[in-house]
Amino acid sequence: MLFNFREKLNSSKFLVTAEISPPKGTNVSAPLEDASQLKGLADALNVTDNQCSIMHMSSLAFSKLLLDEGHEVIMQLTCRDRNRIGLQSDLLGAYALGLRNVCVMTGDFPSCGDHPGSKPVYDLDSVQLLELVRKLDKGIDLAGNKLDGGTCFCMGAVSGINPQEVLQLIKLEKKVGCGADFIQTQAVYDVGMFEEFVESTAHLDVPILAGLIPLKSLRMAEYMNEHISGIHVPEEVLSRLKTASDPVEEGLSIASGTIKELTKLCRGVHIMPIGSHKNTPRLLSMAGISPK
Amino acid sequence: MIITSAKPLEEILEILKDEDDIFIIGCNVCAAKLKTGGEPEVLDMCRRLEEHGKHVLGWALPTAACSIRSYESLVEKNEKIKEAHCVLVMGCGSGVSATANVVDLPVYGSNNTLSLGGSSSGKLLSNQCIMCGDCTVGEFGGLCPKSQCPKGLLNGPCGGSVAGKCEVNREDDCIWALIYERLKKINRLDLLYVIHAPKEHAFK
Ligand code: SF4
Ligand code: SF4
Repeated sequence: MLFNFREKLNSSKFLVTAEISPPKGTNVSAPLEDASQLKGLADALNVTDNQCSIMHMSSLAFSKLLLDEGHEVIMQLTCRDRNRIGLQSDLLGAYALGLRNVCVMTGDFPSCGDHPGSKPVYDLDSVQLLELVRKLDKGIDLAGNKLDGGTCFCMGAVSGINPQEVLQLIKLEKKVGCGADFIQTQAVYDVGMFEEFVESTAHLDVPILAGLIPLKSLRMAEYMNEHISGIHVPEEVLSRLKTASDPVEEGLSIASGTIKELTKLCRGVHIMPIGSHKNTPRLLSMAGISPK
Repeated sequence: MIITSAKPLEEILEILKDEDDIFIIGCNVCAAKLKTGGEPEVLDMCRRLEEHGKHVLGWALPTAACSIRSYESLVEKNEKIKEAHCVLVMGCGSGVSATANVVDLPVYGSNNTLSLGGSSSGKLLSNQCIMCGDCTVGEFGGLCPKSQCPKGLLNGPCGGSVAGKCEVNREDDCIWALIYERLKKINRLDLLYVIHAPKEHAFK
């Protein structure tokens, strides 16, 4: 039986990862409950790190709570809030607590969250953070000091999907060059565009999990088009939502159609619903992905 | 050039609420250029403080507030400083500190110091350098991402860079888009593939 996420990446299985946000406060029951719906469905759960710069419980603490519940966890780690000392000590702590997968990213700027005046750190960028993780894996820290016990992380990174954004593609190439084991992308609505992206990155030979945010209304789709970096919801999808009598249901049907197409294009999907995972099990079954 | 902006008068009055007999020091370099501490602004500050019941004993305009030779050199410019109970510096933060080094009175600043910038073709340029002390600007064709990207990213743009604009302020260009254009112009697109190491920060 395939057990951990790294083994699953090395298999030929179409993978499902899903995003869970730690609570804003100390009451963990709602997000733990939300995660429990995904048991046997998701191959791993990504735990966000103060997503959108909105302060939440730490990704590390909540990742450990999910691990204790028997989930396979990918701890997200941004460059925004910690310098190289903080990042390394959290990574060592995470490993000692049993966490084996991380996904690193730059992190949104503090001004978009609920503590807009906080000091942005960004001591390292995402490429440098990937290099750092690989150093810890070799048993040394960023300054070259030998560690008393290193790590062995399965390490992911994120990417946009617009094949026209040359600089993003070069950055992705750097991330893979630094040893990224998998890539999770921004939400895909335009499968044609994603296909072009996959083609333009084919030489990188890295498992790609396509991001998916099920749409819930026409307004949400329009909002994404206007405000979310690099997201493009095509006209055809907009008109389906416009004429739908039940837009939530239509959104799920659109998303399940997308997943079916993605199974031919990449290694898996990464589901990031707005709100809870209430509809995720049904979405996966609509897409023909059955619980294991 | 150090980029400053003038604090609102209400804030300055609040800072000076327990002070009187004020001496004002302007700055004839950056602050004069940005109209936050040249002669007209100093005179205007004297008038406005007086209107709010404060006594301004006098003022001086050294060449640069950040390089004041000595207390005596200020006395040479205007003896009134000897009677003052406090000093208001209309320069950048460095001008305030440099003044405090030579004047044994409470010293306050009237400006907010924003960035190390410059100007070219009549356009004000902010955040040209954050003085990281480990300069590698040549590796980016002469445009510094450490200072001009709000996140200081050295290895390419963040995911928020869309169509050449910055996620932090959609009106602003993403510096990485400008670096790309510049490297293309000077035929050095190869530099985009270099993996840049973290900066070595040091308090200097
Ligand atoms: S790298 Fe940038 S911030 Fe550092 S000294 Fe050079 S120009 Fe200034
Ligand atoms: S959009 Fe560009 S300039 Fe703005 S934070 Fe991202 S990389 Fe930096």
